[in-house]
Amino acid sequence: MLLHYIDLSWRSVKSTPVISSLMVFAIAIGIGITMTSLSVYHMMSMDPIPHKSSNIHYPQLQVMDDGHEWHSKDNLPNQLSYQDSVNLYNADIDVLSSPSFRTGFSVHLNTPDVKPRMEPARLVNTEFFQIFERPFIYGEAWSRNDQDNKPYVAVITKEINDRFFNGENSVGKEIYLDNKSYRIVGVTEYWEHHVKYYDVNNGAFNSAESIYIPFSIAPLEEVGTWGNMNGWKHQALRGYQDLLTSEQLWTQFWVLLENEAQKEAYGNFLMAYMEDQNARGRFQRETFEYGLRNVNEWMEYNEVVSEDNRILVALSFMFLMVCVANILGLLLAKFLKRAPEVGVRRALGASKRQIFLQHIVEVSVIGLAGGLLGIVVAQLGLWGVRTTNSYYNALATMDWSMLLAAPAISLIASFIAGLYPAWLVCKTQPAIYLKSQ
Amino acid sequence: MLKMQNISKVYQTDSVQTHALRDFSLEVNEGEFIAVTGPSGSGKTTFLNMAGLLEPFTSGQYTLDGIDVGGLSDNQRADLRNQKIGFIFQGFNLIPDLNIFENVEVPLRYRGVSAKERKRRIDECLEQVGLASRAKHLPQQLSGGQQQRVAIARALAGNPRFLLADEPTGNLDTLMARQVMELLEEINRNGATIVMVTHDPELARRAPRNIQVVDGQLADFTLYQGKPDADIERANAPLKTAEV
Repeated sequence: MLLHYIDLSWRSVKSTPVISSLMVFAIAIGIGITMTSLSVYHMMSMDPIPHKSSNIHYPQLQVMDDGHEWHSKDNLPNQLSYQDSVNLYNADIDVLSSPSFRTGFSVHLNTPDVKPRMEPARLVNTEFFQIFERPFIYGEAWSRNDQDNKPYVAVITKEINDRFFNGENSVGKEIYLDNKSYRIVGVTEYWEHHVKYYDVNNGAFNSAESIYIPFSIAPLEEVGTWGNMNGWKHQALRGYQDLLTSEQLWTQFWVLLENEAQKEAYGNFLMAYMEDQNARGRFQRETFEYGLRNVNEWMEYNEVVSEDNRILVALSFMFLMVCVANILGLLLAKFLKRAPEVGVRRALGASKRQIFLQHIVEVSVIGLAGGLLGIVVAQLGLWGVRTTNSYYNALATMDWSMLLAAPAISLIASFIAGLYPAWLVCKTQPAIYLKSQ
Repeated sequence: MLKMQNISKVYQTDSVQTHALRDFSLEVNEGEFIAVTGPSGSGKTTFLNMAGLLEPFTSGQYTLDGIDVGGLSDNQRADLRNQKIGFIFQGFNLIPDLNIFENVEVPLRYRGVSAKERKRRIDECLEQVGLASRAKHLPQQLSGGQQQRVAIARALAGNPRFLLADEPTGNLDTLMARQVMELLEEINRNGATIVMVTHDPELARRAPRNIQVVDGQLADFTLYQGKPDADIERANAPLKTAEV
C-alpha cells in the first residue's frame, strides 16, 4: 500500500505542479538555511578525536600571587609559562605528556631553485605525535635522545614534503628553518581538523602547522611564539632567557591520562608542584586550584562554540518553522480542494487511517524532495561562507551525518506541516461531497 | 438484507433543527430492486446516506445483513461499506487522476485484495459493462454514459450484496439511461439487492418495488409495475419542504 500511496503522491504533485513546487522550494530554502548554520555548528562542536578525547587532558595551574585575578570563569590561566611546561614534562611521573607552542619560520632548502616560504611550525616533544596519533608516511617521530642531545630534527607534513621534495621520501634530508638546518626524521599526513583543539587559545579554527621541531630548540634558537602571551605580573624582560624564566604564559601542555586513578594521581602531582613552586618563592599563595580537562571539556571551557553560534542555529530553525507554517497553509489549500475525492474514497471503504497515511506519504514525498534540494541550497550557503574567509574552509562543510540529517529534518518538518491538513482531510464526511461533485 | 426501524436524522445548526428523516422504517429483502421516489428535499438522499452508512443516524435501529450498525465506529462502517455496499452516484464520482482500471481498483485496494485477484475482478467487471477496451483511458476521455458504466463496474468490483444508486441516470440522455438501467437489471438478476433513488418515472416503473419518501417519512408503499407514468409523476410532484 505504501508504494501505491507514493504513486498517488507523485500523481498529485504532477497534477498541481505550481503549488507543489512552491512547497518544495519553501522547505528547500528552510532546510538550506538551517543546514548551513547547523553544519558549521556541528563541525565546531564535534568531538575531534572521539576514541581518545576523554583521555587527553590539559592541565591548568593557579601559579600567581593571592589577590590576582585571571580573566577566566574559574580564575585559572589557560596557558602555562615556559618553566612550568618544562618542569611538568621533566617531572618524575609515568605519563605521556608534551608541551607545545606555535611559531613560524622561513622554510627553504638553501638552494636557489626553491623559493623560501614562511610556514607556521610547532615546537613539541616526541610524545605529542603519540598522544595525538599522527600517522607517519615516512620515518617516525624523533627519539628522546635526539630531543635531548641532537635536537635539530624535524617532522614535516605531506604538504611540505610534496612542495620541497616532490613527494619523495625526505627522511634524512636537510631542511632549513630560517638559517638553521634540520634533519628530517619523519613525514606525517597533513593534519586535517575542523577545530584546532590542541591549541584553542591561538585561533581555534586555524589550520594545522606543517613543521614540528623539538621543544628543546626554543632556548637554543630563541624561538618566539606566534600565539598569545599573557602574564599576571609586571616583569622587565631583558632578553629571551628572561622570557624563559618569567611568569609569562605562552605555552600549551597536554598529558595522556588513561583512567580516573591516573587522573587523580596527576591532579595530586599538580597540587604538590604548585605548593613546591610556592615554597621556592615564585609567588605567594595560600590556597591552590588546578584544572585538568579532557579535550571536549577544554573546548567547552574555552567556548569554542560561542553563544552566537547557538543563537544562529536557533534562528535558522525558527526560519524553518516559518517555512513550515507557509507549507501548512499551502497543504491546507491543496488537501481541502481534494476533499470530494477523499469523500469518494471514504465511501468506497477507505478508513480515516488510510486517508491520513495517503496524505502523510504525499507530504513526506514533498519533504524529501525539499530536503534533497535543501542540501543543494546548503552547499551554496556553505560555499558562500567559505568565500568570505579561508579561516572557515574546514568548518563550512557538510559531513555524512549532516547530509543524512538534511532529509531527516526535512521529513520531520514536512510531517509537522502536514499533520493538521492530513488530519483535517481524513475527517471528511463522504456524504457532504458525493452529491455535490 | 436491510432493516430500518424508526430511523431519525436531525441536522442541528446554531438555532435550527432540521428533521431530514423521522421514524423511517423499511425492510428490504435479499435480491430486491427498489426504486425510491419523492419530491426534492423529501429525504431520499438522506435515506440513501443512512442506508449506505455514509452518515450516522440520530435515533432508531438499522440492521444490514444481520449486523446492527448503530454501534459501529467510523472505521468499522467504512469496512462494512467496502465489504457489502456498492455505490453509484448521479455525478459518477470517478477520480480524475486515475484511469478507468485504477478507478475500478479503488475499493479492492482498500479491501487488501491481491494484485492478481484485483486484475481478474477488474477485467471481469469492465467486460461486464462493455468497457474492457477503455481500461487505460482517463475518465474525462469517456462520455457520460461510459463514465457511469465505469462507476457501476467500480461498484460491482467488490462483489457487493447491496447496491445503492443515487439518480444513476440523472446526468444521462434517454438512450444511455436505458442502457444503464438494463445493466442494473442484469446485476439484480445476478443476485444483488439494489436500492435506487430516481426522479425518472420510466426507471421507477421498471423497478419491481417502489417506495415514496415525503417529509422524511415513508409515505407510500406501492408496487408500480404496470401503472401509468402519471401515477409516478404525481408521486414526484413538489410537496411542502421538510419541516423545519
